[in-house]
Amino acid sequence: MSKYELPNKFDYKNVNLLKQFITETGKIIPARVTGVSASNQRKLTRYIKIARFLALIPFTDMHN
Amino acid sequence: MKKYETVIILNPNLSSKVETFLKEFEKLLKQHSFSINKMEDIGRRQLSYSINNHNKGHYLIFNIEGDSLNLIDIENKIKYNESIIRHLFISVKEHSSEDSQLLIDSKNKKSDSEDTKEEGHEKKESNIKKTKKEETTDEEKFSKDNKKEEQENSDEITKEESKEEEKDE
Repeated sequence: MSKYELPNKFDYKNVNLLKQFITETGKIIPARVTGVSASNQRKLTRYIKIARFLALIPFTDMHN
Repeated sequence: MKKYETVIILNPNLSSKVETFLKEFEKLLKQHSFSINKMEDIGRRQLSYSINNHNKGHYLIFNIEGDSLNLIDIENKIKYNESIIRHLFISVKEHSSEDSQLLIDSKNKKSDSEDTKEEGHEKKESNIKKTKKEETTDEEKFSKDNKKEEQENSDEITKEESKEEEKDE
């Protein structure tokens, strides 16, 4: 049912994939909007938070 | 023995000294009986937000294996290394033997723009600085223009007022 087809294996290094699941302001998009399965959504949030820490993805759009 | 994935972001100004850093890091790992299974040098990359006033970082990814107790000692030593902007150790169930997506992306970018040597980077940076300066001057102009307009507007208002006064008379 997912709008996005997620690969079987992905992690915090698939930056372009993770960017599809955050808004322009950098928030994580809820699963009820994207239609991602619950287990994949848990993975996504974990990896997005790691990628943010490594400056691969912005926390917000308010960075200088 | 546990498997770990390590990401280290180096100071971009020191990216020419990566090899010396790699030797030191390998020594450090060997001292603590860690083994390196794979190393990926992703190279310079734009940070999505500035860390310690750096806008770029040199990314290195390691697949290492060793004891968790020794990892604390390694992390303590890395903390006070000023050439490292940021570091991360993650425990992983299995190491993937394939190239990571980050490395593939960086390779694609390099093939797109062939002139991404260090000289090119420096030129680009200087260009960015120039554009920033221009922007500031533009802003100053804008502010000046606005002031002028305000003055003109105020002049017009006073004129109108004077006209109205004349009519009244």
